[in-house]
Amino acid sequence: MITELPAGIIRRQNSGLKKLKPDIPRITVGLATCGAAVGGTAIYERLHEAVQKRGLKISLVPTGCIGYCREEPIVTIAHPKKPLVLLHRVSEDDVDDILDAVLSGTVPFGKALCRIEEWDHLMGHNITYGHGFEEIPLYCDIPFFGQQQKVILRNTGIINPEDIDEYLAVGGYSAASDALLNMSPDTVLEEVENSGLRGRGGAGFPAGLKWRITKEKKSDKKYIICNADEGDPGAYMNRNEMESDPHMLIEGMILGAYAIGTEEGLIYIRAEYPLAIFRLKHAIAEARGCGILGKNIFGTDFSFDIKIATGAGAFVCGESTALVASIEGRTGRPHPRPPRLTDSGLWGKPTDLNNVETWCNVPVIIKNGSEWYRNIGAEKNSGTKVFSLVGDVEKVGLVEVPLGTTLKKIVLDIGDGGADGKAVKAVQTGGPSGGCIPLRLFDTTVDFESLNAIGSIMGSGGIVVMDEDTNMVDIARYFISFATGESCGKCIPCREGLKHTLILLNKILGGKGTAEDLNTLKSLSETIAKTSLCGLGQTAPNPVLTTLDYFREEYDALVKL
Amino acid sequence: MTDEICINEELLKESLEDVTVIINGSRYPAKKGEIMLQVAIREGIEIPHLCYDASLSPYGACRLCMVEKKCRGGNEMVTSCTLRAEDGLDIVTDSPEILRHRQMILELYLAEAPKSEVIKSLAARYGVTKTRFFKKVDKTDPLGNKCVLCGLCVRVCNEIMGAGAISFVNRGPYTVVSTPFLSENPSCMGCKACVSVCPTHAIETEDSGDERIMRSWNETKVKLTKCPVCGGYYAPDMLSKKVYEKINPPLAKSVQEMCPKCRSRNIADKEISASSQR
Repeated sequence: MITELPAGIIRRQNSGLKKLKPDIPRITVGLATCGAAVGGTAIYERLHEAVQKRGLKISLVPTGCIGYCREEPIVTIAHPKKPLVLLHRVSEDDVDDILDAVLSGTVPFGKALCRIEEWDHLMGHNITYGHGFEEIPLYCDIPFFGQQQKVILRNTGIINPEDIDEYLAVGGYSAASDALLNMSPDTVLEEVENSGLRGRGGAGFPAGLKWRITKEKKSDKKYIICNADEGDPGAYMNRNEMESDPHMLIEGMILGAYAIGTEEGLIYIRAEYPLAIFRLKHAIAEARGCGILGKNIFGTDFSFDIKIATGAGAFVCGESTALVASIEGRTGRPHPRPPRLTDSGLWGKPTDLNNVETWCNVPVIIKNGSEWYRNIGAEKNSGTKVFSLVGDVEKVGLVEVPLGTTLKKIVLDIGDGGADGKAVKAVQTGGPSGGCIPLRLFDTTVDFESLNAIGSIMGSGGIVVMDEDTNMVDIARYFISFATGESCGKCIPCREGLKHTLILLNKILGGKGTAEDLNTLKSLSETIAKTSLCGLGQTAPNPVLTTLDYFREEYDALVKL
Repeated sequence: MTDEICINEELLKESLEDVTVIINGSRYPAKKGEIMLQVAIREGIEIPHLCYDASLSPYGACRLCMVEKKCRGGNEMVTSCTLRAEDGLDIVTDSPEILRHRQMILELYLAEAPKSEVIKSLAARYGVTKTRFFKKVDKTDPLGNKCVLCGLCVRVCNEIMGAGAISFVNRGPYTVVSTPFLSENPSCMGCKACVSVCPTHAIETEDSGDERIMRSWNETKVKLTKCPVCGGYYAPDMLSKKVYEKINPPLAKSVQEMCPKCRSRNIADKEISASSQR
């Protein structure tokens, strides 16, 4: 029996540590899609050119996104034995100043956002950077950061997502190696069950239980799939998780495959995420090269590999049965369950499907134990959740908080309220099929049950903030228009019902609605929610139902009473 | 997208095991795994449905056959065409809530297929005589504004005939059933299986001389076989060929080419002359 890591991996770990804390200054540029979109790529290229041309002793690497998207492009500087300094809103014009400062052993203070002296990567590996630059505020004193708890996003924006050495250096793959070398598959499964981890794709089904159902099915072949078909307007948690820390997803899937007992995994990812696809492919190749994917992982008897399947952009393909149809080359249309994927999934074999973030939770659970994990979050809602806080909010970005945090804290404290000083009116959680929650209900805690109780859903974690200028009827129309366009057309409540909902909303917004139309709108929405075949239709009327409940006066003002 | 899953779904196939199910409070015998809509039909309990056919795979799209299934945590609305019998399964087919949603769905059907008499009379049976929704009337619709997208034609063409000549085109409210690229399709055998399963009689065809024209399928034309005896056209060439390939031992060529009428007459004549000689 093998109980030790292969020497090659230990060597790469050490090499990764040297890369994270080199003897020379290290500059990183946030190059997830958000950073690249606001000029990060050009900054990186300018820095790269200067370092090459002038032969500077500077280590320059790309990183993912640290979550504060509003402040992108974010550049970090780490001098040996000094804190890691985050620069924000950097432009191409700042490149020379940055280099001048770095070469003289300091940082451009005018651009500094905060400093990090020590970082806990939660996998038994703290990285201590050092002290100094005390005029720059500490990371935890920045309200946007200080009120978050980073578990899933513990590495994003700090490590290079295109270098497995850095992931290994912060304790990456140590959960997988611990499990494969020293734990039985059953123990891994029990840990996940005991952790109380619930599916992060929206419905919150216990992940461990889904694993167990798949494990206990008798079959010559089984599959695990990662659902990376993130398509909610305004939601990009999964994109960042894959772009900034792709190995965490791979490690989660290795652990799942080991617990369930399968050798084949697939990541179903939308084609609109080219950078995530590139980084995942790169990460999979790196992992194979290190013996972490493929035959006899870590020299054990366990083999597992991951393939990538790209989607063609249909929102409904995030629904489990439509997703499998899409992978198999059929039209992405849901079919009634049962049979569920755990009975008859990909190619008719038992299949476990979990969301990106669900898989990402697994390594930290196995490493620190289920009890540690259960202490984060709320009763029956353990762990943290990453939310994309967008819309009319002052501080746009990715926010990770324990489940059970109030909307107030997320939107008003972390997000600092409405953009440009405007008052916040409502938020919509859970993507296009979520409900609109008014300000007076902001004491609601964000967990699966509490959101359902007020007519919304957790969804995959989008939080769209609306300010005082927002017309809620128009908001309902926007989301219904989205859902109508994405309906697959199989069942009538969704296909025809949503279309007529949209027609009614247009009529009302055009000032031609009647009180009778409002009644029709409500009862039609109830029928769609109750009788649609899949989750898309069942939840699509939520924006109408909640705005009718919470903002009825706005509808009344538009119709002839 | 949400993705939910529930446990306790072991039975997927019909078995020989006898079970008792409860429908509207009365007990009925069934086979474990049998489709509940089928049980109801057998027992004469009315559940409206448009997309179910016992010979095709369950589809669950018309949503008219939804019933209330009693569960521990309360009642759950499910389609009876995908619900399988198990011992003690307790369903209600006509609760006020079921009726309310059924009426709303029928209103949607009246707007979607305003020219269908079948839909009109079905709706009327449930007290729905008009719709509050905007009626979809398209004078150029090859399905005569009668199609409800139940998918029976698509399934019979694929699953039974193996032709795959028609399928769904576009998605959402723009979905229609048609041939690829909305043009004539040589894969169509002209068997009219689609016509026979269509619940709203939406599919139009016409036999003209030696041709069958599938009007609804973009005027796809199919050659018909001519009977050498009576000279009448009786079946599409492709279909005849497909059927005769399956008959083993093969029929004599002279018999094979005859239309069913002439063939039975031919056989009857032979029988008569044989018995007269006895």
